[in-house]
Amino acid sequence: MRRLLRLALLVGLAIWAWRFFTGSPGPQQRAGVSYVDGSSIVLEPGSAGFERLASIARSALRQ
Amino acid sequence: MDAAQALQELTELSSQIEAAVVLGADGSVLASTYDDPARSAALASSTLELIGAAFELNAQPREVTRVEVELEDGALFVLREGGRTIAATTGPQPTSGLVVYDLRTCLQGIHQPESPKKERRSVRKSKEGAE
Repeated sequence: MRRLLRLALLVGLAIWAWRFFTGSPGPQQRAGVSYVDGSSIVLEPGSAGFERLASIARSALRQ
Repeated sequence: MDAAQALQELTELSSQIEAAVVLGADGSVLASTYDDPARSAALASSTLELIGAAFELNAQPREVTRVEVELEDGALFVLREGGRTIAATTGPQPTSGLVVYDLRTCLQGIHQPESPKKERRSVRKSKEGAE
């Protein structure tokens, strides 16, 4: 029983360490636009569209 | 309720929203959480610029109904419905679904004359009538 508990604890620690060291480094950035016909697009950071919307949003957030 | 009351209710309900502005169909500011008109005008200007940029992203010209931009230091949400536009800024990592729901509820709760020009005209007419 003790061995089983130790094993479960070790597995839990290993999962936590894996997520801690390989998880996303910081807050995610994203942008999305929806249109009247129901279509929508998601813009990834680094794309020209994202950078355009992000620069406008940054100026609005600085106010 | 009018736009100012709707915005007041919005800020009371949503702890995530830091600032918000409601624009009419002509882009004029109907209500704002800012006391300073210059800040309201700046947020309105950014909102219209964002809608314009979002419109240009699509090859086919289609009306923009919603824009969300989430950045590391905050987020900007813009919603358009029934000729009115609402824009709101939040802090980092907002619950976007909840913010959008609150903004939509706010926009749908507004019932007031659309154009300030029409209001001015009616005021002028009533003044002429009084003379």
